[in-house]
Amino acid sequence: MDHLMKITDLNVVFHIFGADVHAVRGIDLELNKGETLAIVGESGSGKSVTSKSIMGLIPNPPGEITSGEILFEGKDLVQYSQKQMQKIRGKDISMIFQDPMTALNPTMKIGKQIMEGLIKHQGLSKHDAKERAIELLQLVGIPNPEKRVDEYPHQFSGGMRQRVVIAIALACNPKILIADEPTTALDVTIQAQILDLMRDLQEKTGTAIILITHDLGVVANLAKRVAVMYGGKIVETGTLDEIFYNPKHPYTWGLLSSMPKLHAKTDKLLAIPGTPPDLSHPPKGCPFAARCPYAMKVCIDHMPEYTELSKTQKAACWLLDERAPKVDPPSTIGVGGEA
Amino acid sequence: MGRYILKRIGYMIVTFYVVVTLTFLSMKMLPGTPFKFANRLSPEQLNQLKHYYGLDQPVPVQYLQYMWNFIHGDLGGSFQYGMQPVTEFLMQRFPVSMQLGIESMIFGTILGILLGIISGIYRGRFLDWGMVTLTVVFISIPSFIFAAILQYFFSVQIRIFPVIGWSGPMTHVLPVISIGVGVMASIARFMRTEMVEVLNQDYIVTAQAKGLSTSAVIYKHAIRNAMIPIVTVIGPMTAAVVTGSLVIENIFAIPGIGSQFIDAIVTNDYPMIMGTTELYAALFIVTIFIVDILYGVIDPRIRVSGGKPS
Amino acid sequence: MTSSNHDITKDLFTLADLGDTAADKIAGESVSAWKDALRRFVTNKGAFISMIIIALIVFFAIVGPHFFGYDIDNQDVSRANLPPKISGLEWIPAFSGHENGVDVYKEKNVKTAYWFGTDQLGRDLWTRTWHGTQISLIIALIATLADVLIGVVYGGISGYFGGMTDNVMQRIIEIIAGIPNLVWIILLILIMQPGLLAITVAILATSWLSMARIVRGEMLKLKNQEFVLASRTLGASDRRIIFRHLIPNSIGMIIINTMFSVPSAIFFEAFLSFIGLGIRSPQSSLGSLINDGYQMLQIHPYQTLYPGIIISLLLICFNIMGDGLRDAFDPKLRR
Repeated sequence: MDHLMKITDLNVVFHIFGADVHAVRGIDLELNKGETLAIVGESGSGKSVTSKSIMGLIPNPPGEITSGEILFEGKDLVQYSQKQMQKIRGKDISMIFQDPMTALNPTMKIGKQIMEGLIKHQGLSKHDAKERAIELLQLVGIPNPEKRVDEYPHQFSGGMRQRVVIAIALACNPKILIADEPTTALDVTIQAQILDLMRDLQEKTGTAIILITHDLGVVANLAKRVAVMYGGKIVETGTLDEIFYNPKHPYTWGLLSSMPKLHAKTDKLLAIPGTPPDLSHPPKGCPFAARCPYAMKVCIDHMPEYTELSKTQKAACWLLDERAPKVDPPSTIGVGGEA
Repeated sequence: MGRYILKRIGYMIVTFYVVVTLTFLSMKMLPGTPFKFANRLSPEQLNQLKHYYGLDQPVPVQYLQYMWNFIHGDLGGSFQYGMQPVTEFLMQRFPVSMQLGIESMIFGTILGILLGIISGIYRGRFLDWGMVTLTVVFISIPSFIFAAILQYFFSVQIRIFPVIGWSGPMTHVLPVISIGVGVMASIARFMRTEMVEVLNQDYIVTAQAKGLSTSAVIYKHAIRNAMIPIVTVIGPMTAAVVTGSLVIENIFAIPGIGSQFIDAIVTNDYPMIMGTTELYAALFIVTIFIVDILYGVIDPRIRVSGGKPS
Repeated sequence: MTSSNHDITKDLFTLADLGDTAADKIAGESVSAWKDALRRFVTNKGAFISMIIIALIVFFAIVGPHFFGYDIDNQDVSRANLPPKISGLEWIPAFSGHENGVDVYKEKNVKTAYWFGTDQLGRDLWTRTWHGTQISLIIALIATLADVLIGVVYGGISGYFGGMTDNVMQRIIEIIAGIPNLVWIILLILIMQPGLLAITVAILATSWLSMARIVRGEMLKLKNQEFVLASRTLGASDRRIIFRHLIPNSIGMIIINTMFSVPSAIFFEAFLSFIGLGIRSPQSSLGSLINDGYQMLQIHPYQTLYPGIIISLLLICFNIMGDGLRDAFDPKLRR
């Protein structure tokens, strides 16, 4: 199957305070038409940088894509100029952001903010663009859109603003929608509404979604495939079921263990001890070695390669090497409290 | 909004009342009241003066009389010019000062905003560094020193502009630059800070993610948001312009209230000093008021909710 | 898909002994806020150079007036209006003792070289300029110290106690702030008669406002933070909270604001002296010297030049240093 987007060996470096921070270190990813891929990881794992790279929004300086390619419908976006990227952004690939409170221009009517992209990419007249903006507001479930189209962001609640942000992103029927922590800043009840909305919209429009999050609950809700990132690398990828029910990488185990569970026998939350590696001096071996309870001598100096576990699942861990001792995943990783 | 305006007008009146009262009190406390200048005045004038101020009456009565006169636009007579009403002088000279002030503000604000925007867009680059340095220098150097330098080079050395005077566009250039450069630097600095802050906002990324061109992002999203707070500095800036114009009018012999004021200080013309002081205060208070209201009008967040600008 | 790497041997596949420390170690040393600020300040070249220039000016302001043994009011019309001359540096046009191509020293038959020249009464400008710098700095220093004291106390009380106290105190500030500085200052000076004290008080009368507002803002911000609540829960007194928690945490803002008060005080002194409300002859300040020199600008520009350069340098350096300190204390504001 031809991929809608294929990222190969992407490397992103930030030159900050005389040091080079290797935020993304050689990741490979594919995205198929209409599917939802979740990129999961804690802050600083490189997931947001990856999404910004796809959008061509890495600020340069200090950021720089040092190597790799991002093929979108066969064309390499890394080689695109800013001008060429402007034609892609908002039209073929668009993005929704974490904090709806700050993602909208406070001094511009929301209608106008939706119309901008339509006028630029689809050449609509002001009048038609406004019609379409009202349609979009309706689509994302904003009541009374004819009136609200002329209001300013501060007149909307957080959840409503996130709906507006989604309307802006979907304005030109993009092929890919990147959602960077779309629900993190919202109340729990609103989170569910927004996730429902995104699922509905995906069914209607067939847009592929790249979901960036640290919240496995959101992942379970929306994603079909999952990539787990740690220390600028993808440590494990697989289908939703594979990652949740048959994870192979100790970091994935840690993530799953730290997820609060409804029916868990213990009310203790399990944390992964330690902090993520300093990416200005990235570790030579496995980035997770320093925090990994199963770390072996080999892990410290040698980066493990991927082990293909099924057609869809692979993980980078020395434990999967035949020479490694056999380790069973901890019992705490069970989803939904079956454990 | 209406309530807010009313509240502000209330404050304005209280403040101005305090100023006028303070002025009256300092007049009472002045070392040597008008009688100190008895030697400059004829006996009739002296009597006239005594009678005029009712100085034989108790202070509270004098105060009421003073306020009464003040409300009726009578600020007393100038010692220097044979008791000619101060109001007359002020009315005659005020437009000149106003013109100088407005020209300087326009010059400084427009240039300052432009420089600030450019500096903010190119932050961290050499161009930005140069502008930041330049603005510190221009903010620091007092306007009268700047005026002296301009005068020396452009009027004494290469005679492009007249040394002094206020007649025709050429005479406006140096005074307006002298005052305006400080305004320019302050506004450029402020504008740069705002611009950098706005460019770091999430909604700029949203705009970029829509595929807008860089220039569209800057024009439609960044500049407008960065410019709104500029209104807040224009108020205090007016005070600086008044301070500046005071000396600048003196240096370039411009017939405004500033040069009149310094003249009055030098000749101990107390009624004139008081009148000018009150005029300056009124000007300042009204400007701050207008600026606050303007801010409310420009910023939709305040306009709709009717809240107090923070 | 497993390793083809030949130097990975079987014995590497044993548990690594990382201990507990490796995982919990936090990258980078921990630096106190003060040390961090100091480090940022020192690496700021502009601020550092400014500090050195200010130190030099202060040094000359103390030592300079005693260089040649003249008093600030030693007059001698026979040596009036001599241009600057420095023996040994005559090859520099600015210090040649020539004016419009004429050797004024030869003409007036004066042997001594005057480094900054003399004024129209024949007073040595070197002595007067540094003496004037001294006066300007003293005024600025006193005004600023008093302003810190009043501002911190007023703002502290207003912000800490809040409620009605705060309300009344803020209304007072609002009204005072509604009166332009200039008006305030001129009224005060007229009442008190121009002079050192009058200028100091007048500058002080306006400058404490901004300090009071900043301190109040800091207090309001800090007093509701958890560490203060924690301290209060543990039974700390108001005094202890103010002196142990609130003031140490707002000291950065206070220092920054002080740094900007100094140049504004220097400016106002110069401004007042320039319009004739400041220091009177024979005393000198930078403003009065510029005023004296300005009368002679077209004929003897050097008389304005040196006081003008020194005051400009002082103001520029204080402002750059203030910027540097602000950046150092609050990297968020760094732009």
